[in-house]
Amino acid sequence: MAKYGFLIDASRCIDCRACLVACSVENNVPMTHTRIWMKETGVTGEFPDLERYTAPYHCMHCVDPSCVSACTVGALQVNKDGIVTYDNDRCIGCRYCMYACPFEVPHFEWDKQLALINKCDLCVNRLEEGQAEPACAATCPTDAIQFGKREDMLALAHERIKNEPNRYIDHVFGEHENGGTSTFYISPVPFEKLGFPTTHREESPAEFNRMTTEEGTPIIAGSVLTGMTGIYLALEHLQKKNPVHTIEKDLETVDSKKEKE
Amino acid sequence: MSIKIKIREFKDLQSLPRYTYILAILTILGMSTGLYRLYAGLGATTNLSTVFPWGIWISFDLTMVAFSGAAFTLAALVYIFHMHDLHSAVRPTVLFGLLGYSSVLVILFFDLGRFDRFWHFLVYPNLTSALFEVSWCIAIYTTILIFEFSPVVFERFNNKKALAIIEKITIIFVIGGITLSSMHQSSLGALFVIMLPRVHPLWYSIITPEFFLVSSLAAGISTIIIGSYLSIWMYGRTLDQKVIEKLGILMPWILGFYLLMKIGDLIFSHKLGLLFTSGIFSILYVTELTIGVIVPLILFSMKSFRKDRNKSLIAALFVAAGIALNRFDISWFVLKPLHGITYFPSWIEISLLIGVFSGVLLVYTLVSYYFPVFTETIAIEKKQKEKTYPAKVAEAVTGD
Repeated sequence: MAKYGFLIDASRCIDCRACLVACSVENNVPMTHTRIWMKETGVTGEFPDLERYTAPYHCMHCVDPSCVSACTVGALQVNKDGIVTYDNDRCIGCRYCMYACPFEVPHFEWDKQLALINKCDLCVNRLEEGQAEPACAATCPTDAIQFGKREDMLALAHERIKNEPNRYIDHVFGEHENGGTSTFYISPVPFEKLGFPTTHREESPAEFNRMTTEEGTPIIAGSVLTGMTGIYLALEHLQKKNPVHTIEKDLETVDSKKEKE
Repeated sequence: MSIKIKIREFKDLQSLPRYTYILAILTILGMSTGLYRLYAGLGATTNLSTVFPWGIWISFDLTMVAFSGAAFTLAALVYIFHMHDLHSAVRPTVLFGLLGYSSVLVILFFDLGRFDRFWHFLVYPNLTSALFEVSWCIAIYTTILIFEFSPVVFERFNNKKALAIIEKITIIFVIGGITLSSMHQSSLGALFVIMLPRVHPLWYSIITPEFFLVSSLAAGISTIIIGSYLSIWMYGRTLDQKVIEKLGILMPWILGFYLLMKIGDLIFSHKLGLLFTSGIFSILYVTELTIGVIVPLILFSMKSFRKDRNKSLIAALFVAAGIALNRFDISWFVLKPLHGITYFPSWIEISLLIGVFSGVLLVYTLVSYYFPVFTETIAIEKKQKEKTYPAKVAEAVTGD
């Protein structure tokens, strides 16, 4: 099944924040806890040539998400559409996903007594109801947020860069970051200037994580278990042949002698 | 040498040393701030934030687990490698391990956003999660430690039947406990494997799990040595110096292996240059390795240090400080501060830690006063013995 994807174009974003309002309404979260927020360059340049760029920012929906690999209780999952979903009935609020995510996406409800994680789930319920787009993409007045099939969005990103090389820098953020994501950004300025985290890795650390947890730990456990059993049995066998005096055994004999007395 | 000590009656409360009351007050105060944290939420009571979601509690947990590694290290030496002359250290060490792990579980409970769902890890497994492995192994291992400690309780109540059964199956639990310990000690290191973007490259390594496992052996042995010194102060009893000496002989091997792994990892991942170019991080890294590994490696290699009680304590303190620094480094100091925001714990975070740690010491003291924990230890004659210990304590520690 084809996977979903976003294309977010920082050159089209006008900082109207309608996407934040849409997210708040759709997911029934307060404006302070929206799953989408703004990244910006700040005002740059000399007057009168001033510039300011913004881009809405939310979960990248990685192809091989670190958070899914890390989550203690499996509250984070990738579904068949490539959406990284979050199950708030499972989450225990351990916040490991916040450290695992290279994009600083999962947020924690610090102000609540029983606090959980907040994260974009690509309006998965809305899509299941048969609507075409998540709330933010449906609302965006300038089409800065576009939604569709992942490969279509990636192709569109490259097409725009190719057609207007002066308008964009030649970098599709999300194509290779953390092993590839489902959200692609194109921008007139380098992404560091927009305040994006810089992860230039081709592979997701989730892969290293699986190496240690799925291979490393069983290897350690297996070798310790067999090694310890083997050494114990071997030494036990040897000791039966040639009993060795130890402090403990000496003490035992002293003890038993006294008890007899 | 005495091998039997008198165990007090439960009603005998007056002779408890004064510090137990201080510990009790600290525990109650600390736990009340903990309850306040449960009531008010993490945001209001801690300095944790979106960029620093874990703080001193996690660093404490990592350190405590490393030191509680004493229990499985010693169990392996005594029961597997048949070093039965170390047996006198088993009970005091298993008790420390049990309380150490319990304190970690308590702190983790306070650290969870949904503490009411702490049991979820039992029913919703995610097998690729290092934290899932850690929580499972710690939970099972703590149960095994209760079992390993149970002979002390049965002995206290003179239940010979239970003692005989336990003695027969102990080895199965010992091997299981060692396996689980190796798993969670290494999985704690695996926690940081996925944090590639956050951990400073000098500390980031795919074999962090192995670093944690090997260093926990050294931390465990240093805990036994330090503990044997503390018990002089607390009860006027300690381990035979021959035990300390034997443990000391193992240290250079473990530390040497750890050092080789650390340096080898830097060489193979081409990070050796970072040792000289990372500013404050270089200093931290070198400090950690120097005080925790190189200095004690030299000290424990010297016979004069292993033979002398005070000198081996100094060497053990170096190891403990270095490994504690290592755990704090990787879980706090060298995590890349995003957007320049750094973290320092709030007073509530610190007071809960003090409370829980005092609780550990308090329960340890009480259990060893009322249960036969230090049975195989030797009494240390001190010049000011009458002055330091009340008459009843002196009576309790005199053997035959």
